[in-house]
Amino acid sequence: MTEAAATLSQEDYILFEQTKRKHRYKQFIKGMLFLLPSIVLFSVFLFYPLLRTIYLSFFLTDASGAPTVFIGWDNFVTLFQSSIFQQSIKSTFLFVLYTVPLTIVVSLFLAIIANEKLRGIGFFRTIFSSGMGISVAAASVFWLYLFHPTIGFLNIILDTFRLEKISWLTDPSWALIAISVTTIWMNIGFTFLILLGGLQSMDKYLYESADVDGAGYFYKLRRITIPMLSPTLFFVVTVTIINAFQTFGQVDILTQGGPQNATNFIVYSIYREAFTNYQFGSASAQAIILFIIILIMTIIQFKLGERKVHYQ
Amino acid sequence: MNLIKESIFLKRILLFVILSLTMFMAACGSKNAEGSDQETKTEDGKQIVTFWHAMSGASQEALDRIVASYNESQDEVEVRAEFQGTYDEALTKFHSVAGTDSAPTMIQVFEIGTMSMVNSGHIDPIQKFIDEDGYDMGHLEENIVNYYKIDNQFYSMPFNSSTPVMFFNKDAFEEAGLDPESPPQTYEEVEEASKAIVESNPDMKGFALQAYGWLFEQLLASQGALLLNENNGRSGTATEIGFTEEQGKSIFEWVERMNEDGTFANYGINGDNMLAGFLAEDVSMFLQSSANSRDLIDNAPFEVGVAFLPHPENTEWEGVVIGGASLWMSAGKEEAEQNAAWDFMKYLQSPEIQAQWHTDTGYFAINPAAYEEDLVVEMHEENPQLKVTVEQLQATKPSYATQGALMDMIPEERKIIEIALETVFNGEDVDKAYSAAMEQLNRAIETANKARGE
Repeated sequence: MTEAAATLSQEDYILFEQTKRKHRYKQFIKGMLFLLPSIVLFSVFLFYPLLRTIYLSFFLTDASGAPTVFIGWDNFVTLFQSSIFQQSIKSTFLFVLYTVPLTIVVSLFLAIIANEKLRGIGFFRTIFSSGMGISVAAASVFWLYLFHPTIGFLNIILDTFRLEKISWLTDPSWALIAISVTTIWMNIGFTFLILLGGLQSMDKYLYESADVDGAGYFYKLRRITIPMLSPTLFFVVTVTIINAFQTFGQVDILTQGGPQNATNFIVYSIYREAFTNYQFGSASAQAIILFIIILIMTIIQFKLGERKVHYQ
Repeated sequence: MNLIKESIFLKRILLFVILSLTMFMAACGSKNAEGSDQETKTEDGKQIVTFWHAMSGASQEALDRIVASYNESQDEVEVRAEFQGTYDEALTKFHSVAGTDSAPTMIQVFEIGTMSMVNSGHIDPIQKFIDEDGYDMGHLEENIVNYYKIDNQFYSMPFNSSTPVMFFNKDAFEEAGLDPESPPQTYEEVEEASKAIVESNPDMKGFALQAYGWLFEQLLASQGALLLNENNGRSGTATEIGFTEEQGKSIFEWVERMNEDGTFANYGINGDNMLAGFLAEDVSMFLQSSANSRDLIDNAPFEVGVAFLPHPENTEWEGVVIGGASLWMSAGKEEAEQNAAWDFMKYLQSPEIQAQWHTDTGYFAINPAAYEEDLVVEMHEENPQLKVTVEQLQATKPSYATQGALMDMIPEERKIIEIALETVFNGEDVDKAYSAAMEQLNRAIETANKARGE
């Protein structure tokens, strides 16, 4: 009797396990089916190119990008020894440093003043965010004319005040600043919109109780607005940093990496290496290095930023 | 409640965006291909020839007129001219579609892309059609034939050729007490003229040199220097640079001296700014392709002079290298399609078409018979400046230096030289800039040879 029960329960147990496994397998297939579209898209447009880039970075290539000679880590070694690439990394970090904090401070300021309830505020909100509607190419050409050495608006202003004209795009110490100003101007629209959205969704009761307690404007700004906005700010900081690392259009139109490589940011350097010099191997190696830099930066931000971010 | 949802939502978006952006980086290294429509016959049975070119602005309009006149002149072939961006961009696009159905029948490639086209293996040398057709290339300009003939055969059909010339402001020359009919010929004379210009008009600079590798190559050739060893890569594969330190530095030091005099206008790498500066009377002399002649003469509010390319005083003037582009035939196309393209290429060589092309743009006629056409004779009477281009080419002494260099790394060489020139323009040490550039040049040559497995 007990024996029979034991066998039965053992059979039951096996059956139970089998059903469970079958069920789990079914769930897995179902899950995969749901994921399939994004797996296919990611594989074609992200994973395959990534693997291909890693593969190419170990080769020298011919003009059409087909690998010819395997050279191991040589591309990476040459890059790290090259003064041009070191300069390129340095300029990229400087550029991030110039653009990201300023973009965020300016847009935050604009967002806070545009968040006030005033008559006709919609007009200003539209103006402040209108930069989003301008393409990189159009904005760059617009700035190209402003920076023109003789007929440019900026130098005409300097001239009327009897100041010395600045060679905005041909002087290596000014070119990086010129590109940064252009970039900040272009990025303000998007950053402003996201920050304004964050401000608009805040609950009013916090301010009401603060008012009851008699808190002043700047106290409320520091103690309520900024902490409540921190998730949005975190998002904006991360996206702006990644964008800054990937800057290409304005460099291509304004300076083409010059003068003296002062604005030869990593992405532009990749483009030039691949499509002017036809060194797809070395370009791929640079792409991998940029990928690693951005990955590390983002991990650091998540580790540091998450602690400070207040997700209510 | 709402806020929590929102912050989770934001976090997810953030993760997604980061993931996509970082991953997308990887795609930067890979190439993108662009196809063109691939029927080979029109509805009424005409053979279609796709023709990729890199002509923009006034030259594009001139080219489109020529293509239209060809399409009207017969009813078997329809040429479709497609603009594919700058020479660099068009060549890159060709390399990524070469050998597939999307490749054009024929493509215009700049002179320094010659070696990279030959090495690509996706083209049929024009020599094949010349032999089959019994066509005689003897009527073409001798210096052009010299450039495009490699190992005694033609790989491509010459088409638009230009040389660099020195443009100058005749009115400003007169005001400064200089003779506008005898422009400076040597570096030293250019310096003297620049000083005189600045003295008479402090708002005008004397001379501008665009940081452009092509001009550096030309300035080397004009003093008889080779760019690459192995006779500019024509006697064998080049293994290092071919000019001496004295020859290379002469150009850098020339600029340095004018910079110190305060007579040099720095437009960096931007040729358009330089043209605008010349037209706005900010600078009195500059070097640029003769293809700009017509445009400048028509648009300048003063009289424009055109002069030969200058050279250092202690050297002989040797001449200029052919610049511009030639037409290439894709391999792997049907015979009928290739023959149609060949017919169009021959049409482009004809004296009438070359006369039209020369007067519309300032590219010179590759077929000297064009200079006898009425159109050209009249134009030369009206604008004698256009003649200087032709005279400069005909005065060029045939040698390895003026034949020009052949190698697939020349686009890279240009970038290296441009950065070195910019460094000197900005007043930094010539020796340092020069030696850094030479080191990079030799390494680039080495890498290019290694990539071909040599």
